[in-house]
Amino acid sequence: MIYSDIAMDAVLLAVLADLFVLRTQMVTRGIFWLTYGLILPFQLLTNWWLTSKNIVMYSATEIIGRRLAGAPIEDLLFGFSMILATLSLWEFFLALNRRTSKK
Amino acid sequence: MAHFHYAVVLLFVAICAIGVNVGFRLRITHLWRVFLATDAAILLIYTAWDIWAVENHNWRFDSAQILGLRIFAGLPIEEILFFVIVPLMTVLTYLALSKLTKKYGKAQP
Repeated sequence: MIYSDIAMDAVLLAVLADLFVLRTQMVTRGIFWLTYGLILPFQLLTNWWLTSKNIVMYSATEIIGRRLAGAPIEDLLFGFSMILATLSLWEFFLALNRRTSKK
Repeated sequence: MAHFHYAVVLLFVAICAIGVNVGFRLRITHLWRVFLATDAAILLIYTAWDIWAVENHNWRFDSAQILGLRIFAGLPIEEILFFVIVPLMTVLTYLALSKLTKKYGKAQP
């Protein structure tokens, strides 16, 4: 169940980076959760497409086995980590861009 | 046409992205440097994970349903595009919702 382990680590690392490395505090903002809530159904839709047609196939030994919309439940963790990392990095580089363009 | 099964879902997301960018007048093209920096980091992390996962048989792709172009470390080109298009859509969704909540909701902190 290595996918389960890595997916959990990815969420943990994304949260730690957001709070303590990039210091963007996305997880404390309502707008982040609103964005996540809107993207989630679209993730389920693309997951369903990719897995129901067997475009992507997962090894049964590397996942817990519970599935949502066709895809391993771990995909929710992967998706959350990527959405959080993307928005956290975006806010970080946006602030950096503002600071450097002011000088 | 089965070769387009993965690509078509990326096309769907890309069309949504262009629609949201134009519809909400987000003009993300003005901030291309910020997006490039963001996506470079995402690409680095998530393709590394993907390459490792494929090599260790965590998941695999049906070669009949992908374009068959493997430009980087044996990954299907769709996977690379996924890590560009999905973060782009994520940022656009965030910008559109930020704009909407500023317009109709309480003032942003």
